[in-house]
Amino acid sequence: MILLQVVVSGLLMGAVYALFSSGLTLIWGMMNVVNFAHGDFVMLAMYAAFYAFTLWHLGPIFFVPGAAALLFVLGVVVYLGLVRHVARGPMLAQILGTFGLALVLRYSAFWAFSANFVSLPENLVGGTIDISGIRIEASKLLGGAVALVITLGMHLVLTRTMLGSRVLAVAEDRNAAMLMGIRPDRMQALAWGVGAATTGIAGALIALFFYISPTVGESLSLIAFVVVCLGGFGSVPGALVAGLAIGVIQALSAYLIGAVYQDVLVYSLFLAVLWVRPQGLLGKL
Amino acid sequence: MNINRIATIAGLLIIALWPLVVHDVFYQRVGALVLLAAISASAWNLIGGYGGQVSVGHVVYFGAGAYASLIVFTRWGWPPLAGAPIGVAVSLALAALVGTPTFRLRGHYFSMATIAAAELVRILASNWDVTGAAVGLMGPPVPRSVWDFSFTSPVPYHYLFLAVLLLLLWLTWLMQRSKMGFYLAAIRGGDRAARSLGVPVLRYKLYALLLSASFTSLAGTLYAVMVGFVDPESGLGILLSVKMVIIAALGGAGTLFGPLVGAVILVPLEEATNAMFGGGGTGITFIVYGAIILFVARFQPGGMAVIWRALTSRRKNRAA
Amino acid sequence: MLLEATAVVMEFGSFRAVNGASLTVTEGDIVGLIGPNGAGKSTFFNCVAGDLTPTSGTIRFKGHDVTRATPEQHARLGMARSFQVPVTFEDMSVAENVMVGAFLRHGHRNAARRVADEILAFCGLDTLANARAGSLGTPGRKRLEIARALATEPQLLLLDEALAGLTPAEVRLAIDLVRKIQQRGITIVIVEHIMEVILSLTEHAVVFHQGKVIAEGPPRQVVDDPGVIAAYLGGSMKRVRTQIS
Repeated sequence: MILLQVVVSGLLMGAVYALFSSGLTLIWGMMNVVNFAHGDFVMLAMYAAFYAFTLWHLGPIFFVPGAAALLFVLGVVVYLGLVRHVARGPMLAQILGTFGLALVLRYSAFWAFSANFVSLPENLVGGTIDISGIRIEASKLLGGAVALVITLGMHLVLTRTMLGSRVLAVAEDRNAAMLMGIRPDRMQALAWGVGAATTGIAGALIALFFYISPTVGESLSLIAFVVVCLGGFGSVPGALVAGLAIGVIQALSAYLIGAVYQDVLVYSLFLAVLWVRPQGLLGKL
Repeated sequence: MNINRIATIAGLLIIALWPLVVHDVFYQRVGALVLLAAISASAWNLIGGYGGQVSVGHVVYFGAGAYASLIVFTRWGWPPLAGAPIGVAVSLALAALVGTPTFRLRGHYFSMATIAAAELVRILASNWDVTGAAVGLMGPPVPRSVWDFSFTSPVPYHYLFLAVLLLLLWLTWLMQRSKMGFYLAAIRGGDRAARSLGVPVLRYKLYALLLSASFTSLAGTLYAVMVGFVDPESGLGILLSVKMVIIAALGGAGTLFGPLVGAVILVPLEEATNAMFGGGGTGITFIVYGAIILFVARFQPGGMAVIWRALTSRRKNRAA
Repeated sequence: MLLEATAVVMEFGSFRAVNGASLTVTEGDIVGLIGPNGAGKSTFFNCVAGDLTPTSGTIRFKGHDVTRATPEQHARLGMARSFQVPVTFEDMSVAENVMVGAFLRHGHRNAARRVADEILAFCGLDTLANARAGSLGTPGRKRLEIARALATEPQLLLLDEALAGLTPAEVRLAIDLVRKIQQRGITIVIVEHIMEVILSLTEHAVVFHQGKVIAEGPPRQVVDDPGVIAAYLGGSMKRVRTQIS
């Protein structure tokens, strides 16, 4: 019974991982550029949620879309101001560009919000729900459910709509898409906006039940990489499955061998997969 | 005599005479720290700059060197410097073990695998009592003999570091001119074309990594000898890896003196902000680091080396 | 027999790009591989060069089985190649690019430099020796790729559309270069779209269609083969033939 409880809470956390990782996989699959600041975007969204509540007493119904909008703008700005220019440059410039951004965001947060951990009040959304013996915090249930719906929604938009097929066309072949009258720059800016917006929603949701600190983005970035690698670069359904799996693995290993080792298992798995199947577990070549 | 040679000799002279010219211990210490940062960035440069394999996990080798020297002290009472060969041996083993499968990954995947490997090692070291877990390890509190290489003045460290840096730069210079230098440049230019010309790509990447790892490890040992303390953050923190990359890239990745130039610019900047803002300075330092590297990546990925080349060639044109 | 490829099959998933192609090349020959786009000639070429490992079939070079050998082993054995889209080492000078090739047989820098200088003069690139490779235009890059390949001192040179995208005047210069290379005693296999090149340069043409060799022989004969004409659907082939007559 306790194991089941652990698995369920792992799945709920995993859904949130899946959400922000699907944003990373979108950008990555589309441009073959990695955003090393992805986790720090999540961190910004967490602070946005925290301050929206503490300063203006806005609830999740307001701060979740608010954080999404804020991060959307940030994503577009980062694309136009930085990524567009480094994307065609040497590998070193691509890595340093977003790494530099990560440092600036992380330590500006240090400076602006101080290094102290903060968190939203525990029972901002209801208390604990009891489903036939399994106790689930309402905030986690809300987070997991919303994340799941949005990730699936994103997949549907990508595969079933005109806009989605334009985005995918640019990912497939930039020049061919251009000949079809699609503006790759706009599509890529949009992908960055949407990719960042997913971190906005995910960050605001995580803030409901997770501590908030300037460096929380560091480990979240790594988790997003792991999820994307396991799920296959550019695959939203892959990110969903891998995100849920990572959530469960973390929860189980934290329960069975201790919380400090939960990331050891995740990183080892990541390296093993990279070494054995560099194209990802579920991805195509 | 061309301007490059004049600048090189003048620069090295200033570095060699620095602790004799300035008497303030603060500035002497900054000088030694510049050299230490230049050693690890130059070591990173071998694989990251010359080989074009952007490792963001080099702190593993740094940590191996730092921990080895303080483990031999705490376990067996040896002078910390005696840990150097052990640190190098561990680093070589790690490099061969981790490098061989990782080199098959391209570009970003390689960088991410190195980050994950480094974080893995950091978490393990934070929970292992041989490495002092989260508390870390201390060196000899009072020097027992000259072999502990523990001094209050930064000057002896300055010359020890300078000797190691010159050795490394000399080896790099030899490599750059030899077959290996050409092969690494070819690998950076493109794996497929390099292989078609008979370049054994994996083997040469591994050579560069082994050389790079051993000197990074040496830098770790030197750090531990000077500071006499290492913990997971100061010996294995991801920011150390990032610093090596940033210093080398600012000066010019894949150039002989690039990392030294980067260290001369960034380390004093870091020390100055730390001195100005106290403990809270770390944050400011990394905002500055991040901003600098963001601008380098955005506007001049070749770093100072390219700017210098542009400046000196313009002068040549004007003279002609 | 310098090169012997037998029943080579290359599959990508369920798609057979090369479907049982064979080719023999005698020492001293210039062999042309032709065929419409997507005929499988480039894939076959990459199997021979060691960039791809064929699904089945064997490739022997100088009596060695090289079916599964790596590209670097091919180079060491004496097989060099150019790429369809030239891949020069942009940050290095033209001479340094060629030295990378020369280092295969000469460990010392000075020896490699001497070989490179000789090859650069041979290819007419000596005046550009110190230029950055990235500053060259397409014809210069293609020429540099050939020079770099020659510096590995090969017995067999594989040219993958080395003349595509050149102006007629540049094509003529390139044809002269290929002839000079043959006179050095180097055997050449060339993949080419331009019929004129195949007709004026090669003694032996091999026509690919749908992953198979459908005709081979002296180029003029091959051009008249009805099967070959059908494969090309008239198009460019007719134009070539009217040009000749």
